Amino acid sequence: MARSLYRVWNHGRYLGTLSRPFSATTDALVETQVKPGEIGMVSGIPDEHLRRRVVIYSPARTATQQGSGKVGRWKINFMSTQKWENPLMGWTSTGDPYANVGDAALGFDSEEAAKSFAERHGWEYVVRKHHTPLLKVKSYADNFKFKGFPKTEGK
Amino acid sequence: MGLGLLASRVLRPQTNPRNLLLLRSIVTKPELQSPEASAAAAAPDPTSDLPPRTPVAGARVHFPNPDDAIEVFVDGYPVKIPKGMTVLQACEVAGVDIPRFCYHSRLSIAGNCRMCLVEVEKSPKPVASCAMPALPGMKIKTDTPVAKKAREGVMEFLLMNHPLDCPICDQGGECDLQDQSMAFGSDRGRFTEMKRSVVDKNLGPLVKTVMTRCIQCTRCVRFATEIAGVQDLGMLGRGSGEEIGTYVEKLMTSELSGNVIDICPVGALTSKPFAFKARNWELKGTESIDVTDAVGSNIRIDSRGPEVMRVVPRLNEDINEEWISDKTRFFYDGLKRQRLNDPMIRGADGLFKAVSWRDALAVVAEVIHQVKPEEIVGVAGKLSDAESMMALKDFLNKMGSNNVWCEGNGPTPNADLRSEYIMNTSISGLENADVFLLVGTQPRVEAAMVNARICKTVRASNAKVGYIGPPTDFNYDCEHLGTGPQTLVEIAEGRHPFFSTILNAKSPAIIVGAGIFERTDKDAIFSTVEAIAKKGNVVRPDWNGFNVLLLNAAQAAALDLGLVPESGNSLESAKFVYLMGSDDVNLDKLPKDAFVVYQGHHGDHGVYHANVILPAAAFTEKEGTYENTEGCAQQTLPAVPTVGDARDDWKIVRALSEVAGVRLPYDTIGAVRSRIRNVAPNLLNLDEREPATFGASLKPEGTQNVSSTPFKAAIENFYMTDPVTKASKIMAQCSALLLKK
Ligand code: SF4
Ligand code: FES
Repeated sequence: MARSLYRVWNHGRYLGTLSRPFSATTDALVETQVKPGEIGMVSGIPDEHLRRRVVIYSPARTATQQGSGKVGRWKINFMSTQKWENPLMGWTSTGDPYANVGDAALGFDSEEAAKSFAERHGWEYVVRKHHTPLLKVKSYADNFKFKGFPKTEGK
Repeated sequence: MGLGLLASRVLRPQTNPRNLLLLRSIVTKPELQSPEASAAAAAPDPTSDLPPRTPVAGARVHFPNPDDAIEVFVDGYPVKIPKGMTVLQACEVAGVDIPRFCYHSRLSIAGNCRMCLVEVEKSPKPVASCAMPALPGMKIKTDTPVAKKAREGVMEFLLMNHPLDCPICDQGGECDLQDQSMAFGSDRGRFTEMKRSVVDKNLGPLVKTVMTRCIQCTRCVRFATEIAGVQDLGMLGRGSGEEIGTYVEKLMTSELSGNVIDICPVGALTSKPFAFKARNWELKGTESIDVTDAVGSNIRIDSRGPEVMRVVPRLNEDINEEWISDKTRFFYDGLKRQRLNDPMIRGADGLFKAVSWRDALAVVAEVIHQVKPEEIVGVAGKLSDAESMMALKDFLNKMGSNNVWCEGNGPTPNADLRSEYIMNTSISGLENADVFLLVGTQPRVEAAMVNARICKTVRASNAKVGYIGPPTDFNYDCEHLGTGPQTLVEIAEGRHPFFSTILNAKSPAIIVGAGIFERTDKDAIFSTVEAIAKKGNVVRPDWNGFNVLLLNAAQAAALDLGLVPESGNSLESAKFVYLMGSDDVNLDKLPKDAFVVYQGHHGDHGVYHANVILPAAAFTEKEGTYENTEGCAQQTLPAVPTVGDARDDWKIVRALSEVAGVRLPYDTIGAVRSRIRNVAPNLLNLDEREPATFGASLKPEGTQNVSSTPFKAAIENFYMTDPVTKASKIMAQCSALLLKK
């Protein structure tokens, strides 16, 4: 449900972008520039979490899956390592409210969106290069190409 | 409907793979089959205002010859592709992901699973897109009822004999068959016979097999032959008796065997050490860098809570493509064993006692002030990151000593000319070479990913390989020219037949092993190699074929940062030795009364000599910059918390400097990096290869003569090269089972 809402919102936003030049109401939105760190300030997030260093990256394709549905999204890694195994039950505890946010809750369509999100929260960020595959010409006929005389085996 | 669909596509805002996906559902509306609608859909619309479609996964397309571009239509969208590409690749360029099992972009095309069927206009039957070359003007349709039906049929046949054991399968959740059966599978089976079953094979300690799950895509067979270069796997039998196996009971003896786990589209080949340990959706992935060799493979560290559960590769075309070596993939259990938890001081009885950081640092600071500056020596270990090496060097320099080096770089490293210690051709550039001369290096054990590139090149273009060094195994054709520097001299003087091979080559590559750094006649050997390079025209403005293949992750950065000892034998007179994760430095000559500080994460050789232990974080627990052998700086990211009371390396040195009264001027990792910017700015230029500026021609003539001692193997045991891999049980098993001859 939340997901589909998100999608609707996404579409709406894109249509908004498209129609922006013609509409007066959205023009006003453009005027309101958000200053770095402002969202963070008004959101009541504790100060120490507004000065975090984060890494913006685009997750690589899972090595075991060929599908590309999830590729191309951008995520924020909060580099949170304050974790420990709870001695009572063996569950994992964390002292960092952002521990699961980056992995599970934040996803962006573009690098710019992720950057501006980080900026608005006042996080210091670095962006990791997104590695993309290189498509080279391949052909089935290569299987039957002459590749020199067979080499003697078992040398 | 056809028009509506098109209209919505026109409206679709630029490049958004998510939205693409949303609209990329398979439509089985009868309207689509009606002639007018399909005509409307196929008409190559006045496309000027169509947004450009992004290739699947943001892929770049390599045009070998820009004039040879052809245009095809995928679902009505025109795309330009190089001539000779397959229909499947054309669809990929058009941003349409075609379901597939046997096709893999890095393996040869088999065309045996038939999952990739698409409809092509004027073709009577659906075509297997992975094997069909795209022809100019071809009209490919990927979301028609015909294509859907064809794929559903294939899927039904595949599932006929596939066990329904997803709940107990380790591939569950990241399985191609699962994914694609969500789209094309039926909700009930029509097959009422018994499913076939296949005996599991034993492929060794790394790869677990459940052969009943195999769908005979032969990806693993092609991987073994083409990438790993071993003829271990094959397909036996025919029809429903078909089995993947090694024919005779045999273990898979490749150093890349772990990759078959990834390429297997089902759960037939899974990771043995990871079996039933965790489900993949519980894991948190952290994109990081491997440090077990100097290649710097890109990896994802999957952790659950405070534990590293597995390591998987991630794509980097320039370095490791999509593969990693078995050492990289399976050493992770070493991260949990033999860890140093607390600062410790060796008491008078020779036993270590855990103390607080304050006490430990106070003791070290006190001792370091009692020795003469020349008697202080610092050695950085194989796994040190650039930040900590910078801090160590700055600290010892402030103490007045300039004897800092990184192990593996030899007693008199040459840090002046960067082209003398990095791989100038670059790893991906090796693919363009047509002759290789390997001098004292065995890439198969020293850098398995570099070896995979050489193997790929040899397979693709029949490149010739000459090797000088002790007899060893190669997984490609290779001419063993000799064992010692004498052969090298012969080639340099043009007396050896291989010299004419180099001379006739278009782009020859010479790869010198870093094991030579430890030899006393290293300068002479380098001059000889340079002589060959000069005469053979190996270094030209358009091609630099002079390469050094490093052994450890820390080496290149250490040389960039100038970790060069003042004198080669400073250890013999040292009174204070600071080992920063250094375990393989030879401490035999160290005076008995020397005070040794060991800062590191594993209790290995270094600890036996230590008086004080300062526990540090392993590379999975910290942020660190590493430069790989081709001069590309990359950073690790923390995936799991540190163990016990351990701290980041540079922080320990920084704290110690304060206690010792010579405070280093940086408090944050950002500040350390600005310090690095002054020394070696290329280390901050992440993910970009920084080529060396000057060639070797600037070097003064050497006067040394080569000795006749044959080259030694730089690495005895591929599976155990550093403290982490030495502590790993899986690596121990591998060396016991796979290395026995
Ligand atoms: S074991 Fe896996 S990779 Fe090999 S043929 Fe079977 S399904 Fe394909
Ligand atoms: S992917 Fe085309 S036949 Fe298997």
